[in-house]
Amino acid sequence: MLYQPLWLTLQLALITTGCLLVIGIPIAAWLAQSKFKLKPAVEAMVSLPLVLPPSVLGFYLLLAFSPASGFGKFLNDVLGIRLVFSFTGLVISSIIYSLPFMVHPVQAGLEALPGSLREASQTLGKSSWQTFIHVLLPNIKPALFTGVVLSFAHTLGEFGLVLMIGGNIPGITKVASIAIYDEVESLNFKAAHIYAGILLAMSFCILVAVYVVNKHLTRNRLTA
Amino acid sequence: MPFAGIGQTLRVAVAANAQFVSEKLAKAFKQKTGIEAQLIVSSSGKLTTQIEQGAPFDVFLSADMKYPQELYQKKLTTAAPKIYAYGTLVIWSKANGLSGNNLSGLSNVAIKKIAIANPKLAPYGTAAEEAMQKTHTFATLKPKLVYGESIAQVNQYLIAGAVDAAFTAKSVVLDSAQKGVGRWTEVDSKLYHPIAQGVVVLKASQGQNLAAANQFCKFMFSVQAKQIFKAYGYR
Repeated sequence: MLYQPLWLTLQLALITTGCLLVIGIPIAAWLAQSKFKLKPAVEAMVSLPLVLPPSVLGFYLLLAFSPASGFGKFLNDVLGIRLVFSFTGLVISSIIYSLPFMVHPVQAGLEALPGSLREASQTLGKSSWQTFIHVLLPNIKPALFTGVVLSFAHTLGEFGLVLMIGGNIPGITKVASIAIYDEVESLNFKAAHIYAGILLAMSFCILVAVYVVNKHLTRNRLTA
Repeated sequence: MPFAGIGQTLRVAVAANAQFVSEKLAKAFKQKTGIEAQLIVSSSGKLTTQIEQGAPFDVFLSADMKYPQELYQKKLTTAAPKIYAYGTLVIWSKANGLSGNNLSGLSNVAIKKIAIANPKLAPYGTAAEEAMQKTHTFATLKPKLVYGESIAQVNQYLIAGAVDAAFTAKSVVLDSAQKGVGRWTEVDSKLYHPIAQGVVVLKASQGQNLAAANQFCKFMFSVQAKQIFKAYGYR
């Protein structure tokens, strides 16, 4: 059953990254062009998971998701969903946990684009939605790629949060980082080495890919 | 299998001191009934919190009676807790200079750090603290103490060499994987309250699993299980 936690981690990271593409890009787009007075507060909210210890986030989510709390009780009684100790709960907390890793690069990418690009597109009769999809997004490919890959990698390494709200249930919430902890506690250092080694190798390869691809994409854009 | 639910699996929350003996019990139980018992190992305190927050466990093997009693009072169990075994506290060390079943050996200068399970979460930690207080060594030993969140972390500290001695459960040092690792000595059982360990079936367990959970509990009191407990140093 050695592969199960790794497979679960992969699923969690893929689903979280997919959700973050849908949630993160609109947030980043809004932040990039908004002149809203309270924008710094929104930016701070998005960035909080960067500086907050995962145990703080985990603690609040445990209370929020628990059937004993108002929100958790509503989910449990009305919708029949229980988020603590469930895979769905892990996905939702991972989305919050990895949000800045998607939003920041995309926001920075959009802000770096010259304003003339948008204006030219709109002068040519494209709606702002078409402009965004067909003109702006293709021009920030390196930023998008960075966002996707970092969100994925960051979710792979999630630990403190899962420990608080996951409950270490095999096949449901026992992801690789928890499995390492578990094996070390059971004094199975060999199994822990296997998990840890695989995660280390994956993280390294992912980061190398980010640097290689970004270098390539940036160079292409400059010479084009 | 990414998701459970294929075949019948019982989720057994196990206090860290009983993780090795529980593996043996689960194996014997599977041979007998064909039911797979999945172990979720942590400190009794943490498992209790998780159960209170709705963790989907079927059976809870605590390291004491206090936590299962608390769950029983909160109506989260199907019946009052039953004592399945009495645990034994040992001092485990890789360093030389430990002898006898008193705690004076721990004052030796060769012993710089001693791991103990957090008394707030783990009954073996409470027992260790009690023994130190009874022998009036607590004040001297306190600067050397390192707290693990459970017996499991205490073991891990010792195996990794992060501490020189540890208070742990006899069942840990008697497990075949740990045989020959360092030396251990039993703490005089008069120095701490008996570690009565309780088992409860949880109300979260339903249908087929509830039947299996009751079967597992019954099995824990069988002659076969008693022998397994005995082999792991439980009384």
